[in-house]
Amino acid sequence: MKKLVSLLLALALCLSLASFASAEGEWEYKEATISMMVGNDQVMTGIDAVLALAKEKLGITVEIENRVDESVLKTRLAAGEATDIVSYNCGALLVAQNPAAYFLSLNDHPEITDRLDDGFEQSVTVNGVTYGVPIDCSNAGCILYWKPLYEELGLEIPKTWDEFLANCEVIKNAGYNAILSADAKTSSTQLIFLGDFYNVMAEDPTFVTEFEAGRAKYATNPAAFKSWQKYETVLPYLQDGHEACGLEDGLELFASGNSAHWIYFSSILGNLYDLYGSEVTDNVGIFAIPGDDPENTGITVWQPEAFYINKNSEKIDDCLRFLEFYISDEALDAYTEAVVPHGAMLVKGYTIMNTYPAVANDLQAYFDAGRTCSAQEFISAVKGANCRSFTGGILSGLYSAAEAAALYDEDCKLQAVQLGLDWE
Amino acid sequence: MSKAQKYSVWYILPALTVFTVLFIVPMIISVFFSMTVWSFADFRFVGLQNYKMFFEDSQLLQGLGNTLIYAFSTSMSKVVLALLISIFLTSNIRLRGALRSVVFFPHLVSNVAIGITFCALMHPTKGVFNAVLTSFGLKASKFVYSPNTSLVSVIVTDVWKGLSVSTVIYIAGLQAIDRTYYEAAEIDGASRLQTFWNITLPLVRPAMNTVIILSLIGGLKSFDLIKTMTDGGPGNSSTVLALTVYRQFANGYYGMSTTGNIIMLVMISLISYPLQKFLLSREVSQL
Amino acid sequence: MTKRKRTYTMLGTLIGAVAAALVFVVPFLFMFLESVKDKKESNMLKFSLPTQWHFENYGQVIKNNNYQLLRAFKNSAIITVGAVLLLVVICSMAGYFIQRRGDRLSRAASNYITIGLMVPPSIMPTIWIMQGLHLYKTMPGMILIETALTIPFTTMLYRSFVATIPIELEEAAMVDGCSSPRIFTSIIFRLLQPVTVTAVILNSVTVFNDFMNPLYFLPGTKNATIQLTLYSYISLFKTEYNLLFANVILVVLPMLILFLFLNEKIVAGMTSGAVKG
Repeated sequence: MKKLVSLLLALALCLSLASFASAEGEWEYKEATISMMVGNDQVMTGIDAVLALAKEKLGITVEIENRVDESVLKTRLAAGEATDIVSYNCGALLVAQNPAAYFLSLNDHPEITDRLDDGFEQSVTVNGVTYGVPIDCSNAGCILYWKPLYEELGLEIPKTWDEFLANCEVIKNAGYNAILSADAKTSSTQLIFLGDFYNVMAEDPTFVTEFEAGRAKYATNPAAFKSWQKYETVLPYLQDGHEACGLEDGLELFASGNSAHWIYFSSILGNLYDLYGSEVTDNVGIFAIPGDDPENTGITVWQPEAFYINKNSEKIDDCLRFLEFYISDEALDAYTEAVVPHGAMLVKGYTIMNTYPAVANDLQAYFDAGRTCSAQEFISAVKGANCRSFTGGILSGLYSAAEAAALYDEDCKLQAVQLGLDWE
Repeated sequence: MSKAQKYSVWYILPALTVFTVLFIVPMIISVFFSMTVWSFADFRFVGLQNYKMFFEDSQLLQGLGNTLIYAFSTSMSKVVLALLISIFLTSNIRLRGALRSVVFFPHLVSNVAIGITFCALMHPTKGVFNAVLTSFGLKASKFVYSPNTSLVSVIVTDVWKGLSVSTVIYIAGLQAIDRTYYEAAEIDGASRLQTFWNITLPLVRPAMNTVIILSLIGGLKSFDLIKTMTDGGPGNSSTVLALTVYRQFANGYYGMSTTGNIIMLVMISLISYPLQKFLLSREVSQL
Repeated sequence: MTKRKRTYTMLGTLIGAVAAALVFVVPFLFMFLESVKDKKESNMLKFSLPTQWHFENYGQVIKNNNYQLLRAFKNSAIITVGAVLLLVVICSMAGYFIQRRGDRLSRAASNYITIGLMVPPSIMPTIWIMQGLHLYKTMPGMILIETALTIPFTTMLYRSFVATIPIELEEAAMVDGCSSPRIFTSIIFRLLQPVTVTAVILNSVTVFNDFMNPLYFLPGTKNATIQLTLYSYISLFKTEYNLLFANVILVVLPMLILFLFLNEKIVAGMTSGAVKG
């Protein structure tokens, strides 16, 4: 039955795609090649689908270049040697990048900016100038849980961090692995900290402004320090060999159904789906990283990266054509057909047809209730560059929470100095 | 024709130009930029602030300490182990040539390839090393994934690779020793240990000094293996200076990166110049 | 030789061979065996023979990403050949100058160049200067960087060898009316041939295996070198050790070939270079 439904769904998608193509297939066709830089971790399936379509409809061939380190982009932009289109973060990180110097303003192109979701448009707009379009759907820092285990053990969705730990204890005693952690993918260890931001803001709304002014510190602000303490409390529940567990190993372990929780991005659903299909993703649910207040649990949200046009590109017209096409219904259909989105696509008037139950049921509820908050990096540009060293350091037993938080404060200071903030 | 005419400066000008423009000039400029917040596009002069921050930041300092541990332990191990191997390989054994080749080959292999291989051998759950350790009843190690053993794991790998060059240098040194010394010692009835202590060791000194200097400077600059095997982790437990310089570069902190560069430069100079002077003064000339 | 002594020799050979095999051969054998297993077997990371030999792994990694590996080989080859040629030309001249001229100027030049033997390069300002010269991220730029960094060692190598060439040869040629450039190109440079071989081999190994400098000075996938490509494959082939190690073997292969053909010369060169330099 399930198979039949999905088959029908696919068929419907194909048909609708075909009708769209005939209805609005009036794209100017002119052969051109543009270069594009995307992040190393970017899942390319959806983008590739759009690129193939762009070649067919617009005649634009896109040469992809992977950016190995965050830095490569900064260096290349500063050297005036970036690709025609670059993918980069929005929000505070975009502000820090000095976009007016490197990126093309889209203000004269309402055909593009009018389509952007308001919240997203805000995050790619600096001093009244809009620069980019979303390359992907939004992402959430959350706890993914294995629903069959919760059912088997009769567990409730935890509303506080203590309840969460109590659940972990039950799971551990039942002989299952309570928390999956893929430490070898060091960036993944940051999620307990970064994804806890909703709780920090809920408890102390002034933290970010105080932090940016150099007055509040992670090690001393009680609300912010709780995020670091959470690392110590999860230590007894991590699987054996978590230190050497890479993302791929983690996916395999999680799909095997013996692990109850994985604290990560909701986008990991896409990786699970690619490898193991809906049999696995249908078993995954999502809940927010809980804080202390059972009445107020919420999700920390990451805006996707955006495509920006290099101001110095020699092919600006082709780039504009491509960007307009990239957020057209036609392209988004191709995208969502190739990958099941793990969040909203952030284009006005576009609704996704298919998604994961964890997104449609669990995640959506937080959005509907308005219990979401942008991740800190979209609000404040001060984010220590070596965060993962410290979060990973606690998980490997190198640092205590207090040490790691203090080290991260030092790390943030380096960044603040770079940004010209006075932090003494 | 005078010497100055015969050996005109044109001979050295090309090498000098390339070296000056791409090595010396950057070195001089770096003194200035180490005192700035710098993004290539523009810079802001901040005086000694970067240095102050560097020495106040415990993580950056740890990189400095690790560099010293790394350089001295790899150098010492190579100096001792390579000497033993080279004595074995110059003694009267069969397959000598083949064995020398085998020992030498790692030198030709890139650090990235070796890093990948040793990481696989040192895998905490599946690796060959742990299989060997546990079969001898020893405790399995997490190697590069534990903050206690990550630096040591890279050190072991580095020593393994560096043994080849060091051994070859020692072999050359040993072969240069006049055989008559040994013959004389044999006539005097000296024991093997005595011969080693009184003849081999003093006379192999020039080679040993070369090994010490080369491996120490190499160790102080080391980057490739650490970047490949641990990337400085877990935490910052295996970070070294060269990696700190790279990280600051990667984060876009060009001024800070340059500061790290200068600190590395000063440290290497402070260690290697006096050391070289000292070692040279103790060389025994072979009459 | 007494009987007892012969037994010792045999025993020594045996111990040495076994130890060398364990310590120095096993890692390479491991590389190779991993590279010809299937995915599942290779991921177990066992030191064992494959149940089935999968030589097609090599074809797969060569074809990967539109022959990326071959392009990287080409880039590395260009940089290596370019830098080594340049080094041989300019350093033989420089070494000749420093050794022969023997005045304050040449001693100063010698000291100046030896700075580079110890001091690490100053990365950021070098990038900045290369940007000014429009050399950053270009192949000629990378060739010049590799050259600049190996000039000190190569010059000293040549200098010590020039000392072994009798000066009388030059004087005789001078009497015959040869000009100084003529003497260098037709007499000295020929006599320098053994050390040139050494310089070529040692610098080829250094430049071909260099990872750090291309990482700084040649970022981007378009002209990535072989070591950068191999490094990026660590994450790409994280769960396919067979393919990762097939890459490793292919990257090591040129050096293995060099080694098999020039083993004696390399070792001889190493020793002369290291001890005299």
